[in-house]
Amino acid sequence: MRQDLSPWKQAAFVGASLIFGLAISIAILAAAGIPPLTLASELAGVLTAENLRGVLVQAAPLILVGLGASLAFRIGFWNLGIEGQMIFGGIFAAAISIYDVGPQATRLLLMGSAAALGGALWVLLVVFLKNRFRVNEIIATLLLNYVAMYFLFHLLYGAWQDAKTAFPQSSPLRPFERLRDIGFGINSGLLIAIAGVLAAGWLIHLSRIGFYTRFISANPRMAKIVGVPVQTATVWIIAASGACCGLAGFVNVASQEGRLTQSYANGYVFSGVLIAFLSRNDPIVIAVVGFLIAVLFITGQTLQVFYQIPFTMVQMIEAIIVMAVASSEFLIRHRIRWLR
Amino acid sequence: MASALQLVGIRKSFDGALALDGASFESQAGEVHALLGENGAGKSSLMNVAAGLYAPDAGSISIHGVPIALSGPAAARQHRIGMVHQHFKLVKPFTVAENVLLANPQPHFASGIRNIRAAIEKQVSELKFSIDPNRRIDTMTVAEQQQVEIVKVLVGGARILILDEPTAVLTDAEATGLLEIVQRLARAGTAVVLVTHKLQDVKRFADSVTIMRGGKTVAKLDPRQSSAEELTELTVGQTSALPERTPHQGGPTRLNVGALTYTRGDGRVMLKNTSFHVRAGEIYGIAGVSGNGQAELAEALIGAIEPSSGEIWLDGIGDISRASQAKRREAAIAAIPADRYTYALAGSLPISDNLAVAQIRSGRYGGVIKLDRAAIRQDAATAVKDYDVQGVRSVGQKASLLSGGNAQKLVIAREFSRNPNVVVAHSPSRGLDVRACAAVHQRLIAARERGAAIVLISEDLDEVLSLSDRIGVMSRGAIVGEFERPADRQAIGRAMVDHG
Repeated sequence: MRQDLSPWKQAAFVGASLIFGLAISIAILAAAGIPPLTLASELAGVLTAENLRGVLVQAAPLILVGLGASLAFRIGFWNLGIEGQMIFGGIFAAAISIYDVGPQATRLLLMGSAAALGGALWVLLVVFLKNRFRVNEIIATLLLNYVAMYFLFHLLYGAWQDAKTAFPQSSPLRPFERLRDIGFGINSGLLIAIAGVLAAGWLIHLSRIGFYTRFISANPRMAKIVGVPVQTATVWIIAASGACCGLAGFVNVASQEGRLTQSYANGYVFSGVLIAFLSRNDPIVIAVVGFLIAVLFITGQTLQVFYQIPFTMVQMIEAIIVMAVASSEFLIRHRIRWLR
Repeated sequence: MASALQLVGIRKSFDGALALDGASFESQAGEVHALLGENGAGKSSLMNVAAGLYAPDAGSISIHGVPIALSGPAAARQHRIGMVHQHFKLVKPFTVAENVLLANPQPHFASGIRNIRAAIEKQVSELKFSIDPNRRIDTMTVAEQQQVEIVKVLVGGARILILDEPTAVLTDAEATGLLEIVQRLARAGTAVVLVTHKLQDVKRFADSVTIMRGGKTVAKLDPRQSSAEELTELTVGQTSALPERTPHQGGPTRLNVGALTYTRGDGRVMLKNTSFHVRAGEIYGIAGVSGNGQAELAEALIGAIEPSSGEIWLDGIGDISRASQAKRREAAIAAIPADRYTYALAGSLPISDNLAVAQIRSGRYGGVIKLDRAAIRQDAATAVKDYDVQGVRSVGQKASLLSGGNAQKLVIAREFSRNPNVVVAHSPSRGLDVRACAAVHQRLIAARERGAAIVLISEDLDEVLSLSDRIGVMSRGAIVGEFERPADRQAIGRAMVDHG
């Protein structure tokens, strides 16, 4: 067991593992037919002005799921139901549009609020199961993703199916229900993400509930005895986690897709966990890491189009990076001594 | 003939607190030698020195008359010293043979485990034990696990066998069976050291006994030649002069514990109809041999566990034994738990936050939206000064960096800042040096003078005797006797062991 390691050394360990993970990823891509130099030029291409717009659009939901994962992780709740919460965020937002609730001017606000509520309710279901029946939240959140997905399919193949095209997706959102660009190639979805970063930063660093959160994660038994409202604080933080994921669903539906599709939440569990992990649950760092993962996503899409690399490759790279960082955690906590 | 094991003038301190103060010990091959003393007398520490786990600050160790230095447990094993600890050191998912192999490394695994199996079977048949080398530890009872520990040590070739409180976890029948086997081992030439606080075991099975008190060896005698009273007196010591203070006025009852019962997760009944009351301005001491339900009583009082039945009634509040957190907070019980880093402090968080946490809800440090960090830090600095918490470079430093005594002062600073009506203190001076201990006692007396009702649960009889207005003796989860101040030390000592 190591005692306290200085923050700089810890960062160095994480950094070294990250480089190690990236090196493996580059090697795999090279084996799949993309030489490192091509990769570098593609990466550079992603950062040009016109592609940057796509990156920023992609960054918004990634930052939001990163925040969602990190809030829950901070309190020791392993929320792997990010996709389910995104799906319900999207469904709640789409319901506002489909049932034409409220005036045009407040429509987006209503949709966003509904999405946050939908995501929060879906994760609170697990909190209830955990408190009442001691159901493990890792399994419950993960499996409820499938329940959410099939409920979405049920809607898209049934009541909400697009009548004009008969495709299994909802009718398109009306123009005033879309998240538009606000100039400089920036989509308003990104503003939601930035607002989320600031709100999460406030919640965990300044607010009373954030103070409680630190005690609950540092020593839950002690927290209860000294009068921290453990239950209440936990429920609020987890609800906030679900709300962030719900908003991510809303952003995808209302900006990229423009309608409820089958796949707007696909693959975000992994990305959310990765981002929270890499940024050590710090909101500001999440914004940066979310952007970098967006670059990876967009590069992956380009490679998919021009080099026929399957998109699962991107997910594999994510997985390699998660494992590399997770193992750095082991090295931070333990000292390795070679015997013989 | 030279003694099998001889320890002379052993001194050992932890964080400035002296655990062993020139203790000596001597035992012969072929005898069961009991090491008797209260909790914290230094028995286990002394034997950990003999087993190579603690390096003594001073003193010498000899085996069969030859002085040796022990660099660690492996060195002790080479000198054929083996210790069975109170808390077993077994790997649960491994089999018996694998555990024994782990403690007695062999050059090759496959042939090693065969040799080990044969060695285990030999020991098992000699000792008439009933353990199968291929069984997994987690399928075995506590008594069987203990047999594994003993076999593990004997397979290593131990000729000096130290057993630390071996009967604490056993039923009476199991304990008798074990001690008979231990006696047989001694007859076959092993030097057995039996660390215990149970007089009956000593009287029945030991050939000689060494008594320790306060880190010192106070006597060595033949248990068959001495009476139980004599042994008790040597163990608990002479009554010391009690400090002066105002006599107890006899206020109204503040706290009433009625028929409290608690069954642990594994089905063991830890509290059995525990009943007592505490008046305002009174310190009620609870004495007893550790493991008789004191820890559970303290946990029930501070709300760490929920009792199975019974009540904890507070004046003006009502029953809080199963009350919500909000109601408990209203009751403002000051909790000074024995295990500071489990129940009282978050070691990885700053000192200032650890002090502020209990008062966040009152709004003292700002509302829900924003906490007043400056006020938190300022109050923390004041509390650190008022309560003389040493070793604080900044109130932003982690609480875990404080030494035991200063961490305890930190807990007391927080708990007493609310002017509590009821104080629950469990072994409040455990691990503290004399100065810190006196400071803690002063705070308790001051709270008493202010009219608080104080429950003092302690395994240190001196602490209970010097502070308490009334003393309840706890045994097997119940209060078995109550004594008014000034209490008779010997009578309390008898009440503690007669039921244990």
